[in-house]
Amino acid sequence: MTLVQPNPAIIEEEPPVSLWRDAWHRLRRNKLAIFGLGVVVLLAFVAISGPYLTPYDFLSQDLAARNQAPSLAHLFGTDDLGRDVFSRVVYGTRTAFLVAVVVTAIALVIGTTLGAIAGFFGEPYDRIIMWLTDMAMSVPNLLLVVVINASLKNPIARWMEAQYMATLNPFYRETIWIDFFLVFGSMALISWPPYARLVRAQVLSIRTRPYITAAMALGLSNRIIMMRYVVPNALGPLIVSVSAGLGTAMVLESAFSFLGVGVNPPTPSWGNMISDGLRVWQHYPHLLAAPAFVLGLASVAFSFLGDGLNDALNPRGTK
Amino acid sequence: MSAEPLLRVENLVKHFHVRLGAFGEKAATVYALDDVSLDIQEGETLSLVGESGCGKSTTGFTILNLHRASGGKVIYKGQDLTRLDEKTMRLFRRDLQIVFQDPYSTLNPRMTVGEAIGEPMLFHKLTTRAQLKDKTAALLQDVGLPTRFASRYPHELSGGQRQRVVIARALACQPKFIVCDEAISALDVSIQAQIINLLLDLQEKYRLTYLFIAHDLAVVRHISTRVGVMYLGRLAELAPRDALFQTPLHPYTKALLSAVPETDPERERNRKRQILQGDVPSPLDPPSGCRFHTRCPIAMEVCSRTVPEWSAARPGHLVACHAVNSGVS
Repeated sequence: MTLVQPNPAIIEEEPPVSLWRDAWHRLRRNKLAIFGLGVVVLLAFVAISGPYLTPYDFLSQDLAARNQAPSLAHLFGTDDLGRDVFSRVVYGTRTAFLVAVVVTAIALVIGTTLGAIAGFFGEPYDRIIMWLTDMAMSVPNLLLVVVINASLKNPIARWMEAQYMATLNPFYRETIWIDFFLVFGSMALISWPPYARLVRAQVLSIRTRPYITAAMALGLSNRIIMMRYVVPNALGPLIVSVSAGLGTAMVLESAFSFLGVGVNPPTPSWGNMISDGLRVWQHYPHLLAAPAFVLGLASVAFSFLGDGLNDALNPRGTK
Repeated sequence: MSAEPLLRVENLVKHFHVRLGAFGEKAATVYALDDVSLDIQEGETLSLVGESGCGKSTTGFTILNLHRASGGKVIYKGQDLTRLDEKTMRLFRRDLQIVFQDPYSTLNPRMTVGEAIGEPMLFHKLTTRAQLKDKTAALLQDVGLPTRFASRYPHELSGGQRQRVVIARALACQPKFIVCDEAISALDVSIQAQIINLLLDLQEKYRLTYLFIAHDLAVVRHISTRVGVMYLGRLAELAPRDALFQTPLHPYTKALLSAVPETDPERERNRKRQILQGDVPSPLDPPSGCRFHTRCPIAMEVCSRTVPEWSAARPGHLVACHAVNSGVS
């Protein structure tokens, strides 16, 4: 018997398309997602190159030019101490991105590790880890952050002071690190459970796919199956979740700073700027409008991008 | 049987423990495979046939240790595979390959065809990186695919092309034995013929041994050396192909064969169908004694009490039936 050879002439020549490239093509067709991606890239650029973009120092006060309306000299006007609001919003973007990226990274590492262990190794790890996850999710976020702030801030400040006295190292005088440390810690503490659940669910579902059984039948090692089969296939939903998570983290940081349990003045954050602006919004609406608008824009951009990625990476879910 | 078999399956048992009820409050056991024994000779094609859920695929999976056996032995190269841990088993996996039913889900969607075929060769150190491309191309040619398919992704291929890739991947391990688990059932009939011919060509070229799991009796008749008939987790009959198709002994085999339509219209008109009463009992609670006794047209009193012995009615023709053993039918 002879093999039936497919006729090479009738197979049309097209370059091979990987699933990732395919997803990128779908994403490009989605206008809202591209708008979101554009805004995110722009904000990221602003955050990274902040010091070179700002016309003024974000702390320097000009008491002669207080509460000015937006003008060419001060794009977003000035605040009650004569500080340039545009420069402060740019620095607020830095704060927001720093917090969002660091918090999401920490949450991702914790969540992915725990979720993968729970999904891959099963009982009893699964039960213990999911129990932890449920517990972490059941604690009210705001309450936890307030409690952490109230109970840890003073001891840490006192310890830093003591360290400074002992070593005279100027690093210990930077009280802003306490804010960041507490914000990173407390936000990571409330952000990891959704990642753990997502990764666990992904691993559980991928583990039963026939191509995993096929890989085992080929005699491949667990490490290769994990790295080459499970991870690449679990990545799609995780990317979507991270994109949405970055936006959420920014809003959360602003919310905490607004309430005074996040990043504190004089370090600019959109949240504490909104809080300052709210007190005088009837007289100087630009002080509220500028940070609020940028926060809104960032939040909307991340959610459009997340939605677009979701549609692009899971094409069967659409239509 | 004559020479030392390639693979010997002795009293293989596989029970699945499941939980039933809305809250999983009831524990139950699925008796998927009970006391299955067979020898597989080097170079032959042994087919397993039977209805859905009779344990054909479970047999294949348990032999390859993809399901842990609940009892019994699978002896290959003097080793009992069922006792091996996954690490030691890995050394044998290369020799014992499987082609699955659904070519759409058995390939990793994130890997190109070339990567999928090359990976087992690299892992088992059957090639060097320098030779990888040539070896992959040779395998693609072996299964009748153009070599430029190496850079394609599975979703760009048709079902038949994917199944060829899956076969090439199994071949990449240079196996001795391949379980074809309903390897053609998911394909179009025209493609089925191509894949069957491909499997036969490869068998000749590489001296492969197949355990062919199927429910299409016409295909089984075409390719098998020997055929085993399974019913509800047990072997009912096992015989050389011609003996089984021409002089079936077990009443279940007779009923099964009578369901195959004839191609000759004259014979088709005269074909006597023997229709079994009732449904296949649940493997959660299989009947006592001979599992077929609830539907058997010639069931005797003893059938519901004792399990019929697995014995040779004629040389090489094994059957488990009280009626046959006592010479009633």
